[in-house]
Amino acid sequence: MSALYYLIPAALVIVSAIVWLFAWAVNSGQYDDLDSPARRLLMDEDLPCSGKGEAADD
Amino acid sequence: MSTSACLNDSESALCYHCQAQLPRGLESRHAAELLGRRRLFCCRGCRCVAENIAQAGLARFYQHREGPFAQPVASHASEGDDAGMLDAEGALTGFVSEADGAACITLAIEGMHCAACGWLIEQHLRRLHGVTAADVNLGTRRLRLVWECQKVPLSRLIDEMRRIGYRATPWRADAAAVASAGEARSALKRLGIAGILWFQVMMATMATWPEFSLDLSPQLHLILSWAGFFLATPIVFYSCAPFFQGASRALRAGQLSMDFSVALAIGGAYVAGIYTAASGHGDLYFDAVGMFAFFLLTGRYLESRTRARAARASARWEQQLPASCLRLSREGASERILTSAIRVDDEILVPPGAAVAADGVIVSGYSRLDEALLTGEFKPRQRGPGDRVSAGTLNLDQRLQVRVTALGEHSRLAAIGRLLERAQAQKPALARLADRAARWFLLGSLIAALLFGALWWWLDPAQAPWVVLAMLVATCPCALSLATPTALTAALGTLQQQGVLITRGHVLETLNHVDTLLLDKTGTLTEGQPQLVSILPLGRGAERECLALASALQQDSGHVLAHAFAPAAVLADAVQALPGLGLEGEVGGERLRLGAAAWASALAGDLAPPLPDSERQWLLLASIEGPLAWFGLDDQVREDAASLLNFARRQGWKVVLASGDSSGAVNTLARALGIEAHGSLSPAQKLQLLAALQSQGHTVLAIGDGSNDAPLLAQADVGIAMGKGTDLARTRADAVLLSDRLASVMHTLRMAQRCRRVILQNLAWAALYNGLVLPFAAMALVTPAWAALGMSFSSLLVTLNALRLSRPERE
Repeated sequence: MSALYYLIPAALVIVSAIVWLFAWAVNSGQYDDLDSPARRLLMDEDLPCSGKGEAADD
Repeated sequence: MSTSACLNDSESALCYHCQAQLPRGLESRHAAELLGRRRLFCCRGCRCVAENIAQAGLARFYQHREGPFAQPVASHASEGDDAGMLDAEGALTGFVSEADGAACITLAIEGMHCAACGWLIEQHLRRLHGVTAADVNLGTRRLRLVWECQKVPLSRLIDEMRRIGYRATPWRADAAAVASAGEARSALKRLGIAGILWFQVMMATMATWPEFSLDLSPQLHLILSWAGFFLATPIVFYSCAPFFQGASRALRAGQLSMDFSVALAIGGAYVAGIYTAASGHGDLYFDAVGMFAFFLLTGRYLESRTRARAARASARWEQQLPASCLRLSREGASERILTSAIRVDDEILVPPGAAVAADGVIVSGYSRLDEALLTGEFKPRQRGPGDRVSAGTLNLDQRLQVRVTALGEHSRLAAIGRLLERAQAQKPALARLADRAARWFLLGSLIAALLFGALWWWLDPAQAPWVVLAMLVATCPCALSLATPTALTAALGTLQQQGVLITRGHVLETLNHVDTLLLDKTGTLTEGQPQLVSILPLGRGAERECLALASALQQDSGHVLAHAFAPAAVLADAVQALPGLGLEGEVGGERLRLGAAAWASALAGDLAPPLPDSERQWLLLASIEGPLAWFGLDDQVREDAASLLNFARRQGWKVVLASGDSSGAVNTLARALGIEAHGSLSPAQKLQLLAALQSQGHTVLAIGDGSNDAPLLAQADVGIAMGKGTDLARTRADAVLLSDRLASVMHTLRMAQRCRRVILQNLAWAALYNGLVLPFAAMALVTPAWAALGMSFSSLLVTLNALRLSRPERE
């Protein structure tokens, strides 16, 4: 049980760190747009060009 | 009517870019070889855009995009000039922030409808030389662009976006937008911190429960108690601050609000927890504090997020004005200046097709003006020297010279904005009705708790504080306060999936009391766009032949009325669009004109034949041999209007049509539909009509779409805006029909009825539970811990019942 004497303060420190991290994340705008990043993930960005056919012009 | 229907066959090939149906037999008119296959297009615009996209190597856009699709944004005549103006010195002050040669700007984007559009814009811009960053926000449809302003002018980047089918305009957040973004962030922080800390508090307090028999030493017991106190304190003083502020604000106004009961329960549990921690016996209430806070904050956060979605279409009236205009100097030369640089008494030139930049008086020139923005009426008005023109109206025919009389705050457009703010301030706060019921309940339970506390103090002083607390917790109207918001949130979510965005919480509640339906005409009851309704052949040729010729001319013309005509079976050559006059071109080697009567008949050297009537807008088709046919254009009643009116009649509602339209069309339409009608109403008169109805005790549901309807929508008990309505109307309405279908109004009403049932069930359960547990708590048969458990169970039941609303209705 004596381990609790260390664990409780340690838990408090970790919680403070998590709270600080969360506040920082919100303040830096990471939660402002909850839709776009989720969908952007589905599209690859850096593949070579897939459109090779040159468009015909008349 | 049959004429437009007969050419509009279903089940034909689709345009590769915009997915519009192609006319049968003409699928290959704009076909092109693209991406190794032959692709079909509906028009030159779509083909160009698709070719640009393919050339940029971004063709994967076509695999990822989702409907509904739209044609590429049509470009205005003055757009090139406006884009050029953006490069001028000082043109973008306030919009652009610069650092080390890199400039940052936010652009509002038109024509974007899904994630693939955002991807396309980002990819296309990032590959351009000089662009550092391009990030699209899908929710707000805005693009944050960082570029090297020395290397690339902004006008080029905007032009690049136009090439792939999107229109971008500089955007700046107004004070209200900045404030609401800040509020959203702090609400999320309060919620998140309450959640994180609640879990920790729960672990600390539960360890002290005898049920877990952890056999803690008294010293550890004490440490855990104070650790719980330490963790619960930020929840009370930071996360729950809005409840305490709301309660004290209401108290100062001499009222008891729901915030008061929440504040009392949280404050009471917190103080009791401190007492337990200090005295060493009794239950710790810190975990209950965290639970209340987290549940209640979640409900509020979800509600405010829904509301914020609607306000996204920022509705500043300045944005409805053109970015630049032509000013006439004393010497008579014209120069292009920014709209913000105009002063009163300046003379400006308004070319055909451009919007008027400021209120003024016409000095010279005759023209027709489209005043739809102000009056909602699509039929243009004839204006000449001495007549007043308003900022935001569209010049259709001839060049006008206008002397500016009022700017910005003093213009008519701004006056409508002010009218609206007043209307909003007068809006009855129906949302407080539920609070009022809870207030009496709360007052009753507070008095009961005090009475029984006093009784126990006399019987057994040691028990008294626990009885009072158990009663406070047991009667905390938590389930009662969750009953309404959870049901509303579930119902709002379901409606949103069906294309109805509700922006204020009271709508579903108020809809149940509605007994009067007030409708706007143009754009609401009707499509809001002129459709071809009649053809009167004048000389040789039958209806169908004349229609075929006219349709051929209208194809690809980009003319405002082009969509009124069905896709053509023949193609016209050398088509020229003459602003304000009409179209001229050759079909099968024959020279034809379609447009204003005098101009069209001048082709044959004749005088114009007399107009068939004055109710419709008439276009004349003429060849060298003389006039061929009249084409009558009129606004069509929406398909689902009849079913809405039937529904309203079945409900026993009074239906009133209120329109800014001055023509006889209002009465004709009202007679056809069998409803009461008022025409030629100004926005202020519409408000008077509404106020008269409301003073007779009617609860009014108003549906509209134009900026002129905005005050009406704000003042009505429930205001619903059409999805294609103006931004101003949309932000002031209580609900927006994103689907742009009147049938959604009926969905909403049925959902309102279901929602009301669920709320009543929830309230009944909450009242029953609280009423039952109260006597037991008063007799000290329920400990505060059991009271808290029972209350949580009751809240859960209420929430689950509300979730039934998230299933669409069975039909």
